[in-house]
Amino acid sequence: MSQPRSSGYFRTSYAGDIVLVDTRAQWAGLAVLVAGLAVMPFAASPFLLDLANQVLLASIGAVALMLLTGYAGQISLGHAGLLAAGAFVTGILFKETNAPFWVTLPASAAVGAMLGMAFGLPSLRLRGLYLAVSTLALHFIVIYAGGEYETRRGYSTGVVIDPPRIGDWVLADARTWYFVLLAAAAATVLFSLNLLRSRTGRAWRAIHGREAVAEAMGISVHRAKLSAFVVSSTITSIAGCLFAYYRGFVSAEAFSLFLTIQYVAMVIIGGMGSILGAVLGTVFVVLFPYAIEGTMRSVGLAERLSSIVFAVNYTAFGLVMILFLVFEPQGLVGIWRRVQNWFLLWPFKQKPLRGAK
Amino acid sequence: MIRTTKMMLVAAAMALPAAPAAAQDAYVVGLSGALTGPNANVYAPVIDGLKLYADQVNGRGGVNGKPIRLLIQDNQGEPSKAAADVKRFLSQDNVLAVINVSLSSTYAPMVVETRRARVPLFYAGAVCPKEVYPPADELQFCSTAFAPGFDSQMAFRIIRELAKEPVRIGFAAMAIPIARAEMDYAEGLAKSLGMTPVEKQITPPPTPDYTPFATKLKDANPNWVFSWSPWLSQVKTFEALRRIGWAGRYLTIAHLQAEDELARLKDGELYVFGANSLFQDALPVHREIRDAAQKAGLNTPVPQLAEGWIAGMVLEQALRNAGWPATPEKLVASMNNLKVDLKGLRGGPIEWTKTNHFRGTQSYRVYRWDPAKQAIVRVKDWTSFEVK
Amino acid sequence: MQLAVNIVVLASIYALISCGYVLIYRVSRVLSLAHGELMMLGAYGLYATASLFSGHPLLAIGVSAALALAVGGLVYALLMRRMTGEAVLAAVLATIALGIFLRGAMALVWSAQEQHPLELLGLSNPAVAVGPTARISLVALTLVVVTAAVYVGLFAFLRYTVWGIRMRAAGQNPLLAAQRGIGLHGIYALAWGLATFTGGLAGMLIACDSALDQTMLIIGLKAFPAALVGGLDSLAGAILGALIVAAAEVLLINYVDPLLSDVVPFFVLLAMLVVRPWGLFGTKEELDRV
Repeated sequence: MSQPRSSGYFRTSYAGDIVLVDTRAQWAGLAVLVAGLAVMPFAASPFLLDLANQVLLASIGAVALMLLTGYAGQISLGHAGLLAAGAFVTGILFKETNAPFWVTLPASAAVGAMLGMAFGLPSLRLRGLYLAVSTLALHFIVIYAGGEYETRRGYSTGVVIDPPRIGDWVLADARTWYFVLLAAAAATVLFSLNLLRSRTGRAWRAIHGREAVAEAMGISVHRAKLSAFVVSSTITSIAGCLFAYYRGFVSAEAFSLFLTIQYVAMVIIGGMGSILGAVLGTVFVVLFPYAIEGTMRSVGLAERLSSIVFAVNYTAFGLVMILFLVFEPQGLVGIWRRVQNWFLLWPFKQKPLRGAK
Repeated sequence: MIRTTKMMLVAAAMALPAAPAAAQDAYVVGLSGALTGPNANVYAPVIDGLKLYADQVNGRGGVNGKPIRLLIQDNQGEPSKAAADVKRFLSQDNVLAVINVSLSSTYAPMVVETRRARVPLFYAGAVCPKEVYPPADELQFCSTAFAPGFDSQMAFRIIRELAKEPVRIGFAAMAIPIARAEMDYAEGLAKSLGMTPVEKQITPPPTPDYTPFATKLKDANPNWVFSWSPWLSQVKTFEALRRIGWAGRYLTIAHLQAEDELARLKDGELYVFGANSLFQDALPVHREIRDAAQKAGLNTPVPQLAEGWIAGMVLEQALRNAGWPATPEKLVASMNNLKVDLKGLRGGPIEWTKTNHFRGTQSYRVYRWDPAKQAIVRVKDWTSFEVK
Repeated sequence: MQLAVNIVVLASIYALISCGYVLIYRVSRVLSLAHGELMMLGAYGLYATASLFSGHPLLAIGVSAALALAVGGLVYALLMRRMTGEAVLAAVLATIALGIFLRGAMALVWSAQEQHPLELLGLSNPAVAVGPTARISLVALTLVVVTAAVYVGLFAFLRYTVWGIRMRAAGQNPLLAAQRGIGLHGIYALAWGLATFTGGLAGMLIACDSALDQTMLIIGLKAFPAALVGGLDSLAGAILGALIVAAAEVLLINYVDPLLSDVVPFFVLLAMLVVRPWGLFGTKEELDRV
């Protein structure tokens, strides 16, 4: 469902209302975008290509979290645990049975779904803070299990995974990964958009708004909550599996609480309740450390202060999160929409009414 | 919605300034290390020492007339950051070699990437993995002082010489896989030497209070305890043991901080052994390091710079032998036939051959604090193990 | 016997940190996940004042405690004040972001080097005998005593003083309290100040007992289950929760597997959430607050 704009886009049928791409202008824009994305890996430097790959990979997880937290309103602080689950399933299957990727990927998805049930069960009784805390506890337990596997099986420096292969062809090149990840991210976004305009998505929005009213309308709140957790966890686990293959190794230290916080930041900074927000937030959070480094370098501080880049990163990241929470609760999407409305309404520079998004 | 999404992505990607290409009129080497993060206080001084040495070399005109350019990235001890750093070094900066000064958990990703690009990986401050022992992995090299296997062998030689009664030995280590593996090995070694292993305590890293673990150790009543871990875990276990009244002998590997910490702890029954000589020996090379650190205005305590300095010496020699212009293949060839005189910082030179990327002999000294003299004394001079 | 001493020491650590969580939650219904970082800030404060006033340990400790109090009030005034009225998640995330910011700032100012404030203060930490078989370090003993004093003080404050009663009122029903004329912002600032003060005390004592390093943050996080088990808005519950979690940890280390000590608090937490989410002494209605 597209957002209603400040100027007139009038719908005349239900199908027209929930269509994903509306006008000719939007189709043209989409075509330009697709062309740009397709050309990008051939025009960009390897460094930018790696950045793009990172953004695409992270966006899958961010969209999953947005579905859970932004749309269904269930707070989850266990995101890194789910990513770890997907990655470890891949690693374990690879090491123990030398399974190829077309086995590990569905297996990761299945484990993700099961864990989604586990993470989701507390949501039936708990809300808000307590739910967040229970997901946090589950995160630690998953990480602990992963670490134990690593130690007991002797992979002291992490589980190394071979890149996925079909016959002779190996998926190792950055450019090939770009297209694979682009396809995965696009599939996730399309899937999410479709899900959101279906009955399940509308049920999620209903329970996010007012649970009691949703129950009264006949929506099974329990089923909606659990489905939110399960869908989100499945997608996240798949992201974890891709992560494992992309990095080529799995280790428990990579999935810290800070990773969860980064994903939550992507959702918050991007803007809750919007898939576009998830993607914008991902771009922001992934590129942020590089932007900081670039700024420091351009100011001439990089060489001397290379030892404090991490600290500056943390400080700046915390500060930016605080600024967004305090001053821009609608996130980057809010800013984007304001800009869009400015252009749409030009030359009528009318301030939108209070309360309008 | 989709189009606006992806448009932003493209715009962002194109708007980013392209990262600067490396100036190739220098020996470019990438270093991914734990400058910050939980264990930074162990690895950051190594990086400081290495950088200090590189600056000294560049001040003298460089190697073969070209400066050494160290590209330092902070991976905070995190494997994914280490992987990203290495990818960037290889794809963007065209480095000749990658140096790892970080936790063992960062090894696997760096090995994968460097192996793919056929660039040598040099461990300069972190524990040497078994892959550098003969027969060595073709691209992994290590100059670090401490290493699994030999450390335990030396530990038991010390215990056998110093013990006056039958040995009941306890083990303490941090819960990282490499330390646990070493404790298992040490336990086996103890049994084969007729000693009685009584207890093995593995402590998880973020422990507020080491007393419960120390209690369990003390209850088993050992008269010797051997610990092999990052210094923090070693020293905290020791302090906890003393706090609950254990009076036995504690043997542990000397990390960078050992010299300062021995003076702080002032305990006569704490024995440390290590491959690096102490700054109190005041050799010319120690004075050299001290002067350089003072001139550069470094905050790092000077004794902790030795490890990095050694790595710098090795790097300089390897680059010199590789000639100019250098390629990774030439560097590997030079490293496969390297002998570096460490001027007394260690018990012997570092010698690398095609099958041995560790050293020809590993030598240790043993120290303890003497309460009577109020100084650190040497208990045992250079004891060598041949590396085969 | 040594086991009992260990449990008491660990429980005191957790209890002292938990009372910070409980204070803030009870008064303003916000879960402060920046408590670990504030604790560490307190410890660094001691390190700074110890370097400044070397030779006057009592002065250093006093100044550092006062600083912790002030910092707490400032955190409220500058940040949390703007979060009042927003969704719960936003406030919690604001504290998480604050924690991240503080972590970076502390590393920038003091570097990640491990510090030993006790030496700077010129004090020593000998072992004291407790009964025939157990030993405890002097600082740990101080910590136990201080925790007891803090709790007694807080109980008395909340029950008998005017400000304490106002705080309880604000915690029970902010709207009525405001209409009664109680300045909520002042109350909240006081709560944050007190919480940071006790957290800072905990940080200072831990830094003196072992060392000032990055593991302190994880201790702060591990103390959180103790607060939850007892009930996030109950001080008595915090003591009990700390005892339970500490006992579970120490006994499991001793009799089962030392590596479990990392996850044990969270297992206990999960068990509690399944059985009785509002904790042992928490108020039941907390469950339905979103």
